[in-house]
Amino acid sequence: MLDHQLAPLDEGITIDQLTVAPYPIYRRLRAEAPVLRVKSVGRTFLTKAADCKWVKDTPEIFSSDDPNTPMKRAFLAHTLMRKDGKEHLAERMAMAPALMPKTIQEVWAPLYRQFADEYLDRLPAGEVVDLHRDLSAPIAARILAHILGIPEATDEQMIFWSQALIDGAGNFGWLPGPFEISDRANAEMDQLLGKAIARVRAEPDRSALSVMVNAENPIAESQIIANIKIAIGGGINEPRDALSTIVYGFLTEPGQLEEVRRTAKWGAAFEEGIRWVAPIQASSRLVMEDVEIRGFHIPKGDTVMTLQASANHDEELFDHPERFDVFRAKNPHQAFGSGPHHCGGAHIARRTVGAIMLEALFERFPNMSLPDPEAVLWRGFGFRGPINLPVRLG
Amino acid sequence: MNITFIAADGTETRIEVAEGESIMRAAVQNDVDGIIGECGGSMMCATCHCYVDDAWADAVGPQEDGESDLLDCAASEVKPTSRLSCQIRMRPELDGLTIHLPEAQL
Repeated sequence: MLDHQLAPLDEGITIDQLTVAPYPIYRRLRAEAPVLRVKSVGRTFLTKAADCKWVKDTPEIFSSDDPNTPMKRAFLAHTLMRKDGKEHLAERMAMAPALMPKTIQEVWAPLYRQFADEYLDRLPAGEVVDLHRDLSAPIAARILAHILGIPEATDEQMIFWSQALIDGAGNFGWLPGPFEISDRANAEMDQLLGKAIARVRAEPDRSALSVMVNAENPIAESQIIANIKIAIGGGINEPRDALSTIVYGFLTEPGQLEEVRRTAKWGAAFEEGIRWVAPIQASSRLVMEDVEIRGFHIPKGDTVMTLQASANHDEELFDHPERFDVFRAKNPHQAFGSGPHHCGGAHIARRTVGAIMLEALFERFPNMSLPDPEAVLWRGFGFRGPINLPVRLG
Repeated sequence: MNITFIAADGTETRIEVAEGESIMRAAVQNDVDGIIGECGGSMMCATCHCYVDDAWADAVGPQEDGESDLLDCAASEVKPTSRLSCQIRMRPELDGLTIHLPEAQL
């Protein structure tokens, strides 16, 4: 009987609590109930680092292909994010050349430097601005439009599409409103992608769209379009939230900023920022066979949720996990996930936000300050970061 | 069976490895600095890059299918002896293997 004991069921935790202040909840769960069925979310929460990593690294048991999510409806397609095995690998590798360091070094990093200068030039020195809205979001949108091969899309379009797809994919209540908006976004993207495909066919470049369209054995055009969309949905929030989170970390820990400026450890600062508040906090996996985690029976057909947010604060791996500390000796965070679905944009993020933007920003505004840290609002359960960042530029 | 890792600064670390275990996993489990293995061995991240010692190159063998594409992603210089350590599994003829570590993985 004990062999088949289900994980405890929680009926108290609400999605609202998880959206506003998840970290105290995860700290409690790591200590008291690291495997927990959470009724409001309809998922079995895994909050220990080792469990999250094992699930991600074991796709034979924990499938990404969960038919019970609204993602397919939002994207009007089955994207590579929700596929497994050879099919996933083929689609991922079709896009990969555009995301490789060689391409980043030769094409995207120089372009990003140029955009960084332009977007920093637009900011009014001496004034208080919302850096999240005026820098973090638009620079993320701009470089992504180029990497994907749709430079004609405006920052505003990219940001709208991304949010529409995310809201649709997260519409677990299956309300009509979010799908109406994602349908509108899909129609706009389809129209623009049709033209962009013709363009890269005529004039190939190094973008994701071009390498997929012009491959020797291209994947189906419907999948090319679907996977460009998943990259739009999944390629703005994360670098945006990472940048805003790290800037907040530095401005509230000025001693660390000074030391990083002296030692140029911007890469370590990037890693610590995404550990501290992981832009993607949670992922779901469908359980393909009966399995046991920490002595609890997890039945086939259940959906487990790995909480990267919590894994990155696991006391077994991190001292003072709640603190932004660039100078940790080790930082084995899971912000980019693990296993076959390890973030395809990890190299891009590290070599743009981490290697270029942070230094450029603090070089341009060395006396930047945060007039009121309390005014910064943090939100999000699936995705998380500050939703505003009013700083004084100096 | 054991493996010796030599870091870019010359520091040597010797660890015990069981047959069948990947070099990446063995390094991570033994806290060897210089191997990250962020994707857990799925050939997605290129953060377990290593250089096989010249004397062991033949015994270890060449890169697997797809490995060179990922090695293009590696942060440090790629050499003819470069491998992803997640793709090398321990076997008796590799007992005593020497692995050199790159300067950086990120």
